Amino acid sequence: MAHALKEVFYEKPKQALGAHPEDARVSLSYLSIAFIALFIGGVLGLLQGLERAGLMQLPPWLNYYQVLTAHGILLVIVFTTTFTIGYQFANLSHSLGGLLPKVRKLAWTGLVLMVIGVALVTTTIVMGDASVLYTFYPPLAASPFFYIGLVFLVLGIWACCFGVFINYRHWRKNHPGEPAPLLAFFAMGVFTLWFFASLGVTVEVLTLIPWTLGWKETVNVLVARTLFWSFGHTLVNIWYLVATSAWYAIVPKIIGGKHFNEKLIRLVVILLVVLNIPGGFHHQIIDPGISLSIKFLHVFMSLSIAVPSLMTAFAMFHVFERTGRQKGGRGLLGWLKKLPWGDVRFLAPMIAMISFIPGGAGGIINGSNQLNQVIHNTMWVVGHFHITVGVSVVLTFFGICYWLVPYLSKRTLTKKMNKVGVIQTIIWTVGMAIMAGSMHIAGLLGDPRRTSYTTYKDHPDALSWIPYEYIFAAGATLLLVGVIIQVYAVFHMMFLSPKGVTEFPAAEPVADAAPAPLWTERWGLWVVLLLMVVAMAYVVPIVDMIVHAPPGSPPIRTW
Amino acid sequence: MKQAVYGLLLYLFLLLPPVADLLESIMIVHMHMQMPLLVAAGFLMGRFLQNKFPLFFEKWNHNGVPGIVLFVIIWSYWMIPRAMDEALTFQTVEWFKFFSLPFLAGVSLRDSWKKLTNAGKNSVLIYAAAMLLFMAFLYIGADEQICNNYLEIEQQTLGWGSLAIGVCIVIYLLQLLFIDQSEFR
Repeated sequence: MAHALKEVFYEKPKQALGAHPEDARVSLSYLSIAFIALFIGGVLGLLQGLERAGLMQLPPWLNYYQVLTAHGILLVIVFTTTFTIGYQFANLSHSLGGLLPKVRKLAWTGLVLMVIGVALVTTTIVMGDASVLYTFYPPLAASPFFYIGLVFLVLGIWACCFGVFINYRHWRKNHPGEPAPLLAFFAMGVFTLWFFASLGVTVEVLTLIPWTLGWKETVNVLVARTLFWSFGHTLVNIWYLVATSAWYAIVPKIIGGKHFNEKLIRLVVILLVVLNIPGGFHHQIIDPGISLSIKFLHVFMSLSIAVPSLMTAFAMFHVFERTGRQKGGRGLLGWLKKLPWGDVRFLAPMIAMISFIPGGAGGIINGSNQLNQVIHNTMWVVGHFHITVGVSVVLTFFGICYWLVPYLSKRTLTKKMNKVGVIQTIIWTVGMAIMAGSMHIAGLLGDPRRTSYTTYKDHPDALSWIPYEYIFAAGATLLLVGVIIQVYAVFHMMFLSPKGVTEFPAAEPVADAAPAPLWTERWGLWVVLLLMVVAMAYVVPIVDMIVHAPPGSPPIRTW
Repeated sequence: MKQAVYGLLLYLFLLLPPVADLLESIMIVHMHMQMPLLVAAGFLMGRFLQNKFPLFFEKWNHNGVPGIVLFVIIWSYWMIPRAMDEALTFQTVEWFKFFSLPFLAGVSLRDSWKKLTNAGKNSVLIYAAAMLLFMAFLYIGADEQICNNYLEIEQQTLGWGSLAIGVCIVIYLLQLLFIDQSEFR
């Protein structure tokens, strides 16, 4: 009876009316900013690729390092952040029956703060006062306004975090004895991780501001780098968690199946939240000043993330096989043919998942001490994150757009637009495969990253990199074509596609599934465990870095 | 019973001389990793003893209080700087550590925790938090070596680690206080 009433009063109107218009406006605004950032960042990416290969020379007022910094910040921070917020707030609105008015206000406040932050950051980069790359740690010093812009960006993220926490808590209070819907649980995981990940980088930025203003002479570089990576690597896993939310809770519905056991999915979210932050240390494997035993310990902490990742891989392929077989797939691999490869909403995230296999393997190489020595400062690393972020995460995000944007704008995904999406996915995959592939090889040959075009006085080794750099440029060109198609598709679906109803494809559990266990809702406990893992990882090295600190570094401007 | 086997394997692993040497070479790892792992090994092996001697536990620990008192005494003893020092200096004390933490502290914790009332559990947590915060004060504040076997920097690190864990327990207690725990049952 209760179920039937819920169906009539809650599910039916939601299906008929679609997204709440005011909530949709919040999400669409974030998504618009995301895709404008993607377009500008994409153009800058191509410029960078062409300059790196020596095929063009950028003017002195917009040099390689400015473009590199802006490309990184616009794509790695602005695009992913705004997309995630737009998508997660849509999930929250759908699964919790709408956002609370105060939460909507917090989301708008977050948007305004982020726009102010991005404006400050990009202005300083364009003015040539902040060519510090997107990692922005000392001793390179940007204009103080660059860091003040970052503070606004973080404040914007926090406003959204608190919005999610308030809405989630409100729902749980009004639904005693019920676990929160799966997508809301994912949102809670994403924003909890975001909040705690941003604490370290906030401390870093707040120490850099007085340093760049000249109020403080020196700064402890190693502590700043450690604080940055506690955030930097966690950010990677925040994207990954966002992508997983679509893999687990959306993709099964698109292929006409049911989602995997909810207990396991929730366990994956909890493990990703609890284990993530110490992973940052493997970015510092060649940093002097961190003892070998600490680096050894951190190999385990970094690789612990492989556990939930492998759980996800096996769970997803189980869902694919189960659904394929239900649709009549026979034999060892016959079920693969039954999957809807022509549907961009499946194709894009599926390629994203497959690319996580080489991406994850590369990650294990990067996280291993000896292998990292070989590739650390080379193009290999650039290739690695273009596969993980550029395909595993971004293609999932692109795939999400083809149902999320029409759903929010109350339009439909036409067959033609689906075809555009499939073509875009293929162009993107080919572009990224040749670009990231050649970056990996060039890296193994010693081609350095974070460096403009150079032949080192025509040294034969440096000349051997050039053919691969031409391939980077060719890949980057294809990727810009991909960006243009994607941006066109998103804004077309937002404003021009035919009006209509698009379903929110939230997957359901199998018929006889047990309800999700309530203990998974103990977010207080998960946060305490997260803090304990952070304490285990950071107390020893940070005390060592502070007590045995060298004199520190003054601000350095190399450009 | 599977967990008792895992507990035994963990215990044997911790007993291996190279493992023990490595864990004991860093002060904070000695206190906040080796010792809790020994307790955890005992906690897991406790299942076997509970099944083997149910009457013993029923007779001597039927409300969980004697067991938790034993746990608290053993754990507190090993928080004393001198106790840690002696474990490294005297072989017999080292043996006592490897016996007392799993079999006196771990097993009694296993048998007692579920038998305790909420007030009992909270008292243990408050005691643990207070103890860790006091240790933080002691180890960070001491301006001379309080363990012969460890440098001052190591004891300061241990102090900061204790502070972090103490604060975590306080946060845990606060969320117990402010969030209705029946929501999760």
